[in-house]
Amino acid sequence: MRKHQIYILLFAILFIGCKHETGWVFDHEIILGDVDPIGLVVRNDSLWVSDVKNNRIVVLDFQGKFFREYPGFQRPMHINLYGPKIFVPEFATDKLWTINGVETDTISLMEKPDGAAGVSVKGGKIAIADFYNHRIILTEGKRTTIIGKEGHNDGELYYPTDVEIYANKVYVADAYNNRVQVFDFNGKALGFIGEMDNINVATGIAIINNKIFVADFEGNRVLVYDLKGELLQTLNSFLDKPTDVFVFGERLFVANYGSGSVSVFIKQGL
Amino acid sequence: MKKLIVIISFFVFLGTVHIKAQAPLDTLVHKKVEVRVDGLSCPFCAYGLEKKAVGIAGVDSVKIDVEKGLMTLKVKDGKVIAEDDIRKQVKKAGFTPGEISYPDPD
Repeated sequence: MRKHQIYILLFAILFIGCKHETGWVFDHEIILGDVDPIGLVVRNDSLWVSDVKNNRIVVLDFQGKFFREYPGFQRPMHINLYGPKIFVPEFATDKLWTINGVETDTISLMEKPDGAAGVSVKGGKIAIADFYNHRIILTEGKRTTIIGKEGHNDGELYYPTDVEIYANKVYVADAYNNRVQVFDFNGKALGFIGEMDNINVATGIAIINNKIFVADFEGNRVLVYDLKGELLQTLNSFLDKPTDVFVFGERLFVANYGSGSVSVFIKQGL
Repeated sequence: MKKLIVIISFFVFLGTVHIKAQAPLDTLVHKKVEVRVDGLSCPFCAYGLEKKAVGIAGVDSVKIDVEKGLMTLKVKDGKVIAEDDIRKQVKKAGFTPGEISYPDPD
């Protein structure tokens, strides 16, 4: 009987806990100073931000205290973290750089983009958002797959700015089609996300723990979806021209290009 | 005969002056060129325009003012930038070129 009561109590606690999950709430803002942020990633206790105006990557703590900078990048855009490396696409030169500790290196690309806007690296795969060619360049070793072409229909892209490889799919911030488009590794279009949500320039994308985060640049919002494309939450406060999103533990970081800051949200109800 | 040569030289000189005065604006030497470009809101657009504009022959550097919707091209010493090249590159960047002006005509 006592054991039975404990099970009921545990179930009740779980049920109440789930009922109180309301998603992400604003916690604080990190002022970056003289930084025009585009991409951001978080590693350990540091925030890595691409500063497109000043052609550098800056590293800060969660209060905005400056740690160090990596200068000399030509218009760095949506950066990516994979293993120990930070991947940096250069919009001006179309080169892809890696930062590993204090060392920087370039990765040679078989297919050259025109406006390397974003990068995602998973396993041996590298996906690059090719802004002016309206496509994604997916490479694995010597194999290159071109995903998408210019247009507004299924399988077509219009100025893509970011990309994410997740669970054997390629998710594209199809910026000026105002949606996220999903492809398989062969370039077959699988569907859209956010097409009915009045996104106004889908600039950045991040996928973590089966949640898709989309930065709506002109709409000053971050939209949170599940993998089926169901809208779970819309964040529309404390954002100013958001360009990128990153989730680290129980914290959600959003780069604000408009105000040169990073907004930090925390999970509520868990 | 000498008088005739002087007269001919005088008219040739006048003709040269006239041609220079009638030369189209885009072939004159300027230090800066300003181009109106509407719709420059996102950084990818602004830096995309910069990327395309640095490829224009004769351009030394490019400055984009997103708020004013203005692109300023600094011209290399002694070089001339063709307006057609500017319009072409602005279109390549995904925009419609607006008014082209010269803030410091020489």
